Amino acid sequence: DNSTLVLCLDVGFSMSNSATGQEPPFQQAKKVIQKFVQRQVFAENKDELGLVLFGSDNTKNNLAKDDQYQNISVHRHLMIPNFELLEEIQNDVQPGSQQADWLDALVVCMDLLQNETLGKKYERLNIVMLTDLNTPSSPDQLDIIIGNLKRAGITLQFFLPFPVDGGGSNPPHGGKALSREQQQGLEMTKKVMMSLDEEDVTGVCNPDLSVFKRVEKRPMAWPCTLTIGSSLSIKIVGYKAVCEERPRKSWSVVDAQTHQKDDIKRDVVYCLNDDEETEVQKDDTIQGYRYGSDIVPFSKVDQDQMKYKTDGKSFAVLGFTKQSMINRHQFVGTQVLKVFAPKDDEHAGVALSGLIRALDDLKMVAVVRYVYARNGNPQVGAAFPCIKEKYECLVYVQLPFMEDLRQYSFPSLENNKKYTPSEDQLSAVDSLIDSMMLVEEDGEKKDLFKTVPGSYHIPNPQYQRLFQCLHHRAVNPSVPLPPMDPWLTTALQRPLAVATRCQAPLETLKKKFPLKEVVKKKELKTSKELFGNSLGTGISTSLAVWERVGLHSSLGTGSSASLAVWERVGLHSSLGTGRSTF
Amino acid sequence: PEMWNVLVARLLHASMAQWNDYHHEDEDVDGEERDESGVDYTSTGRDSLVFLVDASKEMFIKGEDEEPSPFDMTMQCVRSVYTSKIISSDKDLVALVFYGTEQSKNPRNSFKHVYIYHDLDLPGARRVQDVDGLRGEKGAQVAGETMGSGNTNLGEALWCCSNLYSDIKLRLSHKRLMIFTCRDTPHGGDGERDRQARTKASDLKETGVVIDLMHLMKPGGFDVSLFFCDVVSPPEDEAELGLQMEPCGKLEDLQKRVRAKEMKKRSVARLNLCLGEGMNVAVGVYITALQARKPNAIKLYRDNNEPVRTKTRLYHTQTGSLLLPSDTKRVQVYAGRQIVMEKDEVDVIKKFSDPGLELIGFKPMERLKLHHHLRSAVFIYPEEEMVTGSACVFTALLRRCSERNVFALCKYTRIRNSPPRFLALVPQKEEVDDGQAQIVAPGFHGIFLPYADDIRTLDTPQLPTASESQVDKMKEIVHKLRFKYRSDAFENPVLQQHYRNLEALALDLMAPEHIEDLTMPNVNMMDQRLGSLAQEFRDLVYPADYNPEGKTAPKRKPAEAAGGTEKKPKVEMSEDELRGHVQKGNLGKLTVPVLKDACKQFGVKVTGTKKQELIDALTAQLTK
Repeated sequence: DNSTLVLCLDVGFSMSNSATGQEPPFQQAKKVIQKFVQRQVFAENKDELGLVLFGSDNTKNNLAKDDQYQNISVHRHLMIPNFELLEEIQNDVQPGSQQADWLDALVVCMDLLQNETLGKKYERLNIVMLTDLNTPSSPDQLDIIIGNLKRAGITLQFFLPFPVDGGGSNPPHGGKALSREQQQGLEMTKKVMMSLDEEDVTGVCNPDLSVFKRVEKRPMAWPCTLTIGSSLSIKIVGYKAVCEERPRKSWSVVDAQTHQKDDIKRDVVYCLNDDEETEVQKDDTIQGYRYGSDIVPFSKVDQDQMKYKTDGKSFAVLGFTKQSMINRHQFVGTQVLKVFAPKDDEHAGVALSGLIRALDDLKMVAVVRYVYARNGNPQVGAAFPCIKEKYECLVYVQLPFMEDLRQYSFPSLENNKKYTPSEDQLSAVDSLIDSMMLVEEDGEKKDLFKTVPGSYHIPNPQYQRLFQCLHHRAVNPSVPLPPMDPWLTTALQRPLAVATRCQAPLETLKKKFPLKEVVKKKELKTSKELFGNSLGTGISTSLAVWERVGLHSSLGTGSSASLAVWERVGLHSSLGTGRSTF
Repeated sequence: PEMWNVLVARLLHASMAQWNDYHHEDEDVDGEERDESGVDYTSTGRDSLVFLVDASKEMFIKGEDEEPSPFDMTMQCVRSVYTSKIISSDKDLVALVFYGTEQSKNPRNSFKHVYIYHDLDLPGARRVQDVDGLRGEKGAQVAGETMGSGNTNLGEALWCCSNLYSDIKLRLSHKRLMIFTCRDTPHGGDGERDRQARTKASDLKETGVVIDLMHLMKPGGFDVSLFFCDVVSPPEDEAELGLQMEPCGKLEDLQKRVRAKEMKKRSVARLNLCLGEGMNVAVGVYITALQARKPNAIKLYRDNNEPVRTKTRLYHTQTGSLLLPSDTKRVQVYAGRQIVMEKDEVDVIKKFSDPGLELIGFKPMERLKLHHHLRSAVFIYPEEEMVTGSACVFTALLRRCSERNVFALCKYTRIRNSPPRFLALVPQKEEVDDGQAQIVAPGFHGIFLPYADDIRTLDTPQLPTASESQVDKMKEIVHKLRFKYRSDAFENPVLQQHYRNLEALALDLMAPEHIEDLTMPNVNMMDQRLGSLAQEFRDLVYPADYNPEGKTAPKRKPAEAAGGTEKKPKVEMSEDELRGHVQKGNLGKLTVPVLKDACKQFGVKVTGTKKQELIDALTAQLTK
């Protein structure tokens, strides 16, 4: 399942030109590359990666001969990306003073791929071009190149520093008009992409420049059988379709001086709840559970014997119900599954299609018992029909058990005269909504803000920030952490167009709805006032206090005397964290 | 002494904060605090609930059609509250008190005709069993024998209850008292006793006790206005029509009504919903569906079955000295490089903005897709007590969003160092049933939207689709197996079994009570309903020789493997080849067996078997 990729970066002199106030295309492209390599490094992706610069002052490639393929430099051969590469990109990849034909560079990349992947099997071969297309390029060999790309199964992606939707001849909105070379280059790229059946020509000025099209791992298949009663079965395969993606690594604790993990040992001791805190051996402890006020000894062995057991994988239909009976806000669990028939089983495909289409026509869902594996806990969930142009599937989401629900009731709002908004106020809200619609419908639908894949989508900012900081610290160990990437800050905010549009309606809204913060006396005492500014000095407190704290915090429902202390402390610490009670 | 207290509190607080930091590190390693369950009970005090149940003769009269008596219904309700408290809020205190009894039982027996069955305490197995003993025909008999029915003096009963609250040493955050009765004039027109009861009730209410009436069906109807309207707490807001509610005739209704009141709403956060600069509306964030899990086991001392405490400490391996959190740093290793950060840095990286909800804009409802689901949704309701005027803006927003069929897109930061998530705020208008009880609460549901990283690309199989006749046959099947889904219809068999087991052990029962596993399909009933339909559908979609139950088609093995099971011949790697891999940093591309062989071949000693360890060892050897 390997794929390999060559980054082909234009470092020619035109890449350093930019309209005033704008970042030169070279810097933008360099950032894209850094982000991408960073991502590969942190994903510990084993895919090899090469870097080819063109427009460079030097020439270093296999094809260079006489005056052919000049100013094209293979900066890095196919290798697994690492921090050295990141450092090189940061320090050594600089704008050049030359120019080179981007088609020539493409050929060098193809040659590199061909030579260095010889005899190995690859799932995907990719070339990513980052250029402003500002060099004259000879289109005479275009068809041959396209043919070779196709034959070698190489996919191509372009990152251009201008929007491509306006077409070659129209000046892009806001920017300079394209040069003749650029117009010609754009026509050629389009031709290449069209004939390769690729959609990806991306303008680098997109806010998502740093979110490279990700080369993903193949999701895990979950083969199972869908059953309806005892005599109707359909073979299926489930895949996780939506799930909170987390970084694979976590922080480990090391000694502050030596930075060695082995210098630290974590030690757990057990002790009785008496005044002496008598230590007892782990072997002298048994397992138990609380059952309300009771404490019930319950050994692991007994527990395993008595616990609820399933007979393995299951995707059993319990019945069918109207889609409207399922409240989406009651979805629980942390994933969405998509369920297909096995790839090579057309009979299962037809049977499942029958179910999907029947459910879709009737606006119903299957309520299903789902068990992942023999030792998994059973779930009850809904399997919704999903019919797309290219495929059909069931979409499975877990539903709550009775124990999971909290049926709160809240005071009525609509029937409360105090809160009833006037017509005037309602129309102020209306204008706010009008001005803040994120989906514009002028002829074509355009979504200004998307968190999920689409033309503008937001990657999880937590990890973008984490990797930005890890990258920084890895390459510059003694420098403080950098501020957040501006693009990330911007991506998380109200789109500028909307922010501007809603100014006036917002002002009206403020006038129509008086709001007044209620200040309660209790709140006036902040933790600072209570404890002074010396919160931090507690670090030097002695072992005695250290242990006593352990005592209090581990008290669940211990003796009531110390419990009182615990609660008082709890109160204060809740003030300290700013989660004070109102 | 006050100074001393402040000092102790300060010390404890300061070091506590550290201890907590340190302690939580284990769970916090993936950088994500356990987001939404974060209700801090210890800091807010306990919830308490007193069941004050009428034990007069009228309560024992069975309804028409063998409906259980009001007393029986009440006991079933009390039982289900007990068990649900044990499962979902095991720190709450509950009491069961009867009034209108013949016998009296209270601390000093100073209150006549008041029988404290259960003191205000945590419910446990024994108590559940006790309440079970009061259920049904036999239970009525037991009640008659132990307590009997006698005079009614609600004032005395309420006074007795107020003592229950004041005798508790713990801090109580929420105090509720529920009166279960089917008599609208408990004192039969005795004005003095009525007056006394009203006075006691208002005393209780003054100390923060909320009094609810769970009135049960009685012939001729229950007239709240005769007496009880002055006893119970005023509704939470003027518009709540609490008292016009019809009396409960069915157990299900009673349970629903009790459940809605019995659980104190707790917000996981109270924050500002910022509509724009200078326009902050205060809201509370609530959880309405969250997976209940089996609680963690605790460790007990073998000799006395008492819980032991665990202390975790950090030692320096070389010096043996105790380490404070400040003596440590955090690292992650990527591509062979160790990256070091301070604990504070690790925390601050997660900070994006202050806690709050920030309005980004609005989108039509159809933009919210079914698969936009990552975790349980939150519920958003205004907090008028924090910012006056919030409820009005909120109501206006809710109404217009609902009418225009749009959702509000918000950025949500729950606590200081929690990274932002985007929420789709979906409007929900209030709905009430015929009895004016709320079925659906007014407010916004906050649906967590996935980020681009959270969506996986799948290779979708290209398969033939079903024909109209096949689809039609399936429609018949779907029709036959229709049912009305209710979200509270399924109990979690794993949890139920666990608690039955504990119950059995606590009560020394021979075997745990049998649980009915509602997640199992009722295959017999389904087959019966389907009749020949299943066979007909199979005939339509499957060829005769196709077995849909069989193991998934065996993977077509490559031809050469058909001969035998011999392993791939070992490929010896030349040293040059290996050095090439090391130089290029490509060792990671080799498989673990190949790496192991290489280690053997070049006499590299490795302690571990992890891939990275093998790579590190080889690299070290070959770059010497």
